[in-house]
Amino acid sequence: MISKNNNFIFKALSIVAWIIFVGLCIEAGGLIVNFIFSILKPEMVHNLYQKMDLSELYNRSQWAFYGMYSFVLVISILKAILFYIVIRLISKLDLEKPFNNYVSEQITQISYFTFSIGLLSYIARETAKNLQQHGYEIDQLNQFWIDSQAFILMAAVIYVIAVIFKKGIEIQSENELTI
Amino acid sequence: MAIVVNLDVMMAKRKISLNELSAMVDLTLSNLSILKTGKAKAIRFSTLEAICKALDCQPGDLLEYTD
Repeated sequence: MISKNNNFIFKALSIVAWIIFVGLCIEAGGLIVNFIFSILKPEMVHNLYQKMDLSELYNRSQWAFYGMYSFVLVISILKAILFYIVIRLISKLDLEKPFNNYVSEQITQISYFTFSIGLLSYIARETAKNLQQHGYEIDQLNQFWIDSQAFILMAAVIYVIAVIFKKGIEIQSENELTI
Repeated sequence: MAIVVNLDVMMAKRKISLNELSAMVDLTLSNLSILKTGKAKAIRFSTLEAICKALDCQPGDLLEYTD
């Protein structure tokens, strides 16, 4: 029996996930538009998404600029995809019968995406540190990969949950086919 | 699977339909059908006992091991 409390929590989670997803889509969209502008109109580099000014980085090395910007772009797109999967999972999750292959696949996918985000953020952070040692000023980009370790930890936890879920499905199907 | 369920053979020998057996052993038709078609992964001793009693046979008459 699923309590009303659980249903309420799931509805609230769904709303929060939608809000975050929309926010991440806007962020990813803004960054993509900026990326295109930085290729077509390099003079716009001083006024990027959220008033980021990467003109110094761009002028010193275009490779470094496009490299770091690609990290930012890919991480934000992955975050948006991650929340899309979370929304899909929450909207299709049946609390009366949660153990099915669809839910298991979605949870596994969430763990993979979370790990990818964590790993990419970590690589980006280390690259940024390396660049900073060479005198590049890219402190403004730190907000995009400050939570890399949290993502990796979360990926590990979600992966364990996914594996347990898979085992649960196996046990359920065996139980259903025991006459 | 190496274990074959010969429920249909025994039912034919005893001339009992699936509906009749279902009523006798208190199992649903869908569960009996799963058992008959060999889709079942396991069988409880209580179920086996009830079927053996209803069909007047031994467990070996219902289950067979093949390579």
